[in-house]
Amino acid sequence: MATLDGSTIIGESILINGSLNGDEDLTVRGRVEGTLTLTKTLVVEQSGIVKAEVQVRNCVIAGVVVGNVTATESVEITKEGRMVGDIGAPRVIIVDGASFRGRIDMGEVDVGRGERIGRPIARPAPRPALRAPAAAKGGKKEEAKGKAEEKAAPGKPPAPPPAVGMGAVKRKVVVRRK
Amino acid sequence: MAAIEKTSAPRSGANTVIGSSIVIDGEISGDEDLVIQGTVKGKISLKESLYVESSGVIEADIETANVEVSGQVTGNIAATDKVELKTDCKVVGDIRAPRILIADGAMFKGNVDMEVRESKGK
Repeated sequence: MATLDGSTIIGESILINGSLNGDEDLTVRGRVEGTLTLTKTLVVEQSGIVKAEVQVRNCVIAGVVVGNVTATESVEITKEGRMVGDIGAPRVIIVDGASFRGRIDMGEVDVGRGERIGRPIARPAPRPALRAPAAAKGGKKEEAKGKAEEKAAPGKPPAPPPAVGMGAVKRKVVVRRK
Repeated sequence: MAAIEKTSAPRSGANTVIGSSIVIDGEISGDEDLVIQGTVKGKISLKESLYVESSGVIEADIETANVEVSGQVTGNIAATDKVELKTDCKVVGDIRAPRILIADGAMFKGNVDMEVRESKGK
């Protein structure tokens, strides 16, 4: 909670409506609406709500983001994070438990496989969002496949997943290894 | 005296800090203290204190309980409690507050209204 010099914090009760530009890290615990442009890292904490067009270098989402996020380096949605919107960034990290709906563009991919891989990236991303409620009830089947890191948890999801989703999840694994 | 207040130590506990490289164009509202080291244009309405530090530049109308200005403010200030213009601040605009303090060295241009009109509200 300590305030370091040169870092900006938007407190919990604060609402900013408009455009926000800056060259330093920004931590949002309150609300920001409009446009948000930084040359450094945006951290949306759990209490933070951002409804904005976001352009940053890095973005860490533990709160709520509604709007498109463009990052020159990375976007990470933590397990508490919820986001609706499109992501454009060379590195996109969506961890187990995160909620996301939207498209993802990681930019140019290898020409040989790019066309095939470019699309699946956009599809699997919503899976954690859709699976999150199921996961809470014990159905971790999809996430175990999607993440390729949770081999256990053989619960059964309440509803069978759409076939498209299954394919998308499998393809995502290929992407991640690459 | 002003120098003591200028140190950021007593404000390190503040929840909201707008850093020196930040530019906000729009509206800020909230229920907590706000420290501004950067630039804000538009409107600021708070229920607590606003601190405009020496690097802070504000082109906005301000409505708060308390205001302490060490930087630059262009716009009208309405405070329910107190407005304090510190040494080396530059303020252009009208100020309305029951208590207004202007330190030696502060630059100010505008009207001052200390009439207490609390019963009428804002």
